[in-house]
Amino acid sequence: MPAPFTVSQLISGSNFEAKFPLSLSLSHGFGVSGGLSLSLSLSLSNLLVVVVSEVPMSAFGTPTAPNPNPNKSFEVAQPPSDSVSSLSFSPKANYLVATSWDNQVRCWEIMHSGAVVGSTPKASISHDQPVLCSTWKDDGTTVFSGGCDKQAKMWPLSGGQPMTVAMHDAPIKEIAWIPEMNLLVTGSWDKTLKYWDTRQSNPVHTQQLPDRCYALTVRHPLMVVGTADRNLIVFNLQNPQTEFKRITSPLKYQTRCVTAFPDQQGFLVGSIEGRVGVHHLDDSQQSKNFTFKCHRDGNEIYSVNSLNFHPVHHTFATAGSDGAFNFWDKDSKQRLKAMARCSQPIPCSTFNNDGSLFAYSSCYDWSKGAENHNPATAKSHIFLHLPQESEVKSKPRNTTGRK
Amino acid sequence: MSFKKEPCRNFQRGHCRFGEACRYLHVTQQQPKSNVFGFGTQTGLSQQKKSNPLGFGTQTGSHQQQKSNPFGFGVQSSSHPKAGTDFVSKQNQSKLFQNTWTRSTSTPTGVAPQKSDNETQAANHKCTDPEACRRQIVEDFESERPLWKLTCYGHSKNAPCDIVGDISYEELRAAAYDDAKHGLNFQSIVERERNLLSSKLVEFDNLLRKPYAVPPGRSSSQTPFSGARPNSFPLTAQNSAPPLVSSFNQLGASQNLGLGIRPFTPSNNAFVQLNPNPFSSQSSNTFGTNNMPHRSEGAFNGHIPARTRGSPLHLI
Repeated sequence: MPAPFTVSQLISGSNFEAKFPLSLSLSHGFGVSGGLSLSLSLSLSNLLVVVVSEVPMSAFGTPTAPNPNPNKSFEVAQPPSDSVSSLSFSPKANYLVATSWDNQVRCWEIMHSGAVVGSTPKASISHDQPVLCSTWKDDGTTVFSGGCDKQAKMWPLSGGQPMTVAMHDAPIKEIAWIPEMNLLVTGSWDKTLKYWDTRQSNPVHTQQLPDRCYALTVRHPLMVVGTADRNLIVFNLQNPQTEFKRITSPLKYQTRCVTAFPDQQGFLVGSIEGRVGVHHLDDSQQSKNFTFKCHRDGNEIYSVNSLNFHPVHHTFATAGSDGAFNFWDKDSKQRLKAMARCSQPIPCSTFNNDGSLFAYSSCYDWSKGAENHNPATAKSHIFLHLPQESEVKSKPRNTTGRK
Repeated sequence: MSFKKEPCRNFQRGHCRFGEACRYLHVTQQQPKSNVFGFGTQTGLSQQKKSNPLGFGTQTGSHQQQKSNPFGFGVQSSSHPKAGTDFVSKQNQSKLFQNTWTRSTSTPTGVAPQKSDNETQAANHKCTDPEACRRQIVEDFESERPLWKLTCYGHSKNAPCDIVGDISYEELRAAAYDDAKHGLNFQSIVERERNLLSSKLVEFDNLLRKPYAVPPGRSSSQTPFSGARPNSFPLTAQNSAPPLVSSFNQLGASQNLGLGIRPFTPSNNAFVQLNPNPFSSQSSNTFGTNNMPHRSEGAFNGHIPARTRGSPLHLI
């Protein structure tokens, strides 16, 4: 497994894959074929600043190769060598953590000023097997990660060795930190949810689930767990030992992701059938429940891999296996913005703490099985998109006017 | 399809100045509730509860008021969209929380309220009309087959699954990586996945063909098949020697677990270990069944009269 990179290695430039001065031969596969010309320059503080200028094209509609970055998002430097399984921003600062199928957990510092975005790889740790999930402690000092090695590790970023703080009998698929309880919760394919006090080796509580944990969202005191076979279990974290409610998903196929409303009135659930369900917990609000279709292309129905609420505007983004991400407003029931489709699926995405950055990864998510995985040529990208107000701010429904 | 939009009101009135370039659909007399927008689609049968056409702006005032907060927390939102508004003050939250929570805790377990919720939700569809259910299934399979096939399926929104045995992307990938680590070559991994896929497709086919007699119930089905030896090597077509029993067993085990609702109790299948180590190689009839789709079909046909409950992959 690749050795974790350090900041000193970075400074020496030995790990940079980009060549300077930059011509079109970037190894990350920037959208060269689309007729864009890129120039990269390395500033003094090891920032990678990408300037993209468009070359007027006559036949723009048909690039020779699919564009890996059609949204001209900023690309994070030194992405993982295998697919990204989760992305997580620090709640306190612009530090981005990505976990990957190459067994690494990596952390970048993202510098963002105006329209300029830069990324600096900071550090990384390893697991023994692919890492599937990550989360930050609420104070932004520690990262928790879990994966196929059935363990969750606690990584104090300021220095210090990562420590194993949780164990399951099967891979850990979801992890979340609950500041109000000072506990870590892990959801695993062993059909349990476990709560951990990181100072103790035994879980504080083990909660049985009807099936393998596929998705988890926590907004204290609301917690929703999506499991295999379309179970959705709602917990009130004031009483975590009791299932508050167990419902069957309003969608017909496998649950892929869930996220709770910022106001905890309900949650969104996404499935593999290109559909998102908006579900309210309160019975009297059931009439506000609905589902909508997304991430479909003709007859092809892709899965919705990630659902994220904007922290300020409370609109949300969906990202799918079709390689697209969209912004939606559930209250006015509109799609605010459809972004262009990347050439690879987007398995995960996240907003930063103030919603000024939207990180998403473009890499193979296994949606077409092992046969479509070519490790030799597969590239993983992590992109940063700057959401514009028009994309994420809710608008009243357009009834008569335009735009 | 291009952008799903509302029908153009001007066009419906007869005079839209945008013409072809109009961003709304020029169709005549479409019902507002059509899913041209992709929103608010109420698929499934007679989901009266939720059949609010556009779903918004039609609440009666009373609904918006002080609704009993199920959780006893969170913002008592009106229909006002959350454009950057913050949460209600914490005092409100805790107060509300206490009120409703005490009510909830007075019930013996969390099950009681939950059951009624479930009932109200599922009340819309009780599978009383197998023909209608069947039509729903047919329609679903024709128009809404997702690209990922290794999935469960329920024909009705809030009813349990008709086909169980979910495998997620990550599970399949983890199994493949695990196999690769144990030295299996790429081709065998692909083969294994393909087998999984074909058995799953068989399941879907069976659901389509079989009449939908009873509401889905969790049943133990599937006699154990030939025990396959763990880690025996490459696939032979009609052989019960699975190539990747270890990882496949894991999947098989998980699916087993998935089939029963019982949380963690060992299933009737003696040979499949549930928790302890899904990754360990267990003899798996799942694989056996996989290899012999016909046999398995026969087997579960015998066991599950009218429902395609178990799949060749599952053993419970």
